[in-house]
Amino acid sequence: MLRVLSWCGRSEGAVKNRPTFQKSAIPVSFMIEQLRERIRVPIEPLNTVDASRRLVTEADLHRPGLALAGFTQLFTWQRVQILGNTEIEYLHYLDPEARRKAFWNVIQFDVPCLILTHGNELEPELLAMATERGIPVYRTLVPSTRFMYLLRDFLDDQFAPQQTVHGTLVDVYGVGLLLIGQSGIGKSEVALDLVERGHRLVADDVVVVTRKSETVLIGSGTELVQHFMEIRGLGILDIRSMFGIRAIRFQKRIEVVVELELFDPNADYTRTGLDGNTISILDVPIPHVKLPIVPGKNVTVICEVIALNYLLEHYGYKPAEEFRRRLEKRIAERAREGREGIERSVEYFEHDFE
Amino acid sequence: MHGLEDEPYYGIGQSGPKMKILEVEVKNRAGLHTRPAALLVKTASKFKSDITLLKDGFAVNAKSIIGVMTLAAEPGCRLTLQIEGPDEEEAAQTLGALFASGFGEE
Repeated sequence: MLRVLSWCGRSEGAVKNRPTFQKSAIPVSFMIEQLRERIRVPIEPLNTVDASRRLVTEADLHRPGLALAGFTQLFTWQRVQILGNTEIEYLHYLDPEARRKAFWNVIQFDVPCLILTHGNELEPELLAMATERGIPVYRTLVPSTRFMYLLRDFLDDQFAPQQTVHGTLVDVYGVGLLLIGQSGIGKSEVALDLVERGHRLVADDVVVVTRKSETVLIGSGTELVQHFMEIRGLGILDIRSMFGIRAIRFQKRIEVVVELELFDPNADYTRTGLDGNTISILDVPIPHVKLPIVPGKNVTVICEVIALNYLLEHYGYKPAEEFRRRLEKRIAERAREGREGIERSVEYFEHDFE
Repeated sequence: MHGLEDEPYYGIGQSGPKMKILEVEVKNRAGLHTRPAALLVKTASKFKSDITLLKDGFAVNAKSIIGVMTLAAEPGCRLTLQIEGPDEEEAAQTLGALFASGFGEE
């Protein structure tokens, strides 16, 4: 189930006018299957009801302690309900009549499912009540806080805003470079060149971008296309079978956006690298490099340099800043000492005429 | 991803003021397979305008064959075309007619 949104997450520039979308619901059965198979959380059903028709619509979880105690105002029943030690101990502590009533307080609502954590048990009588209401009940041995962390992360991922971007995503020295630019400018050709030099292709042409957290964008290809690529004049190529497993990967954080464009003498290209331009995708600002294409320019090598420069900056070294410091120091020295002329980098060449 | 329930909303209000928006239907029985996709891309590439195809929230560049094939558009499905640029009127007309003709297939 997919909901298409226009408001959630804005993008600008070359990625504008693209709708953002996110799932509006996932079936409980899908959630449990993924928990078991992908996250390897041992979880088992305690009753047999059709969990494929019950839907999870929110990433948030709820522990229904107060609802069990009778306070059902503001009860967020539409969330996945977690019954941990506290809830189960509370039910045990009540006499049978009060226990049924407390449990009914929760299951009178159409809760998506109940999950017992820490290997807790549910009285057969209560389990029967849940089955009667068509509510699936599961049990896991994982303690509540740990389990909630794992489930929350999975649900956050499932309900994350997404957008498609027309571009090519390549992992260059471990840095995710998203190449964008108009059709036919040579994004795929640059990617092919990068792959030839040992870098890894994530997706060509259609990159699905997911906002994994407030500052993290993850890009991947689509299930259908994977690592197929079109090179004009050649047709469709399969990078995975041509270059092997080392040439591809399935997901990569997007760290720098490289926009290829035809050289425009009137455009303002950065000359020092001190401007720190960014582009916003799904409301996440990403460093943005505009790269004019001119004859004789090796875009592939420049992409490698962009990646290396990003790594230097990431580890705290900013070459443009460093150069600025040296320049300011020299200007100050000159003003102080009244020195003239431009100095050679080696003052005396000794007797080494190499 | 699971079956679609909600009517998709493409955030048309957000688009540029001059953009052309066109609803089209895939009419030929085989859907948007390789041949019609290639024909669509070839036709779209003749225009200067930016042409985007939308389906289920997925937006792809209509000038890219991989992009168009990503949609795996089945017969009878409806797509939205967003066209923006100097020749958008002409592009809308030509592409609209191409879809209407079922790409010359049954």
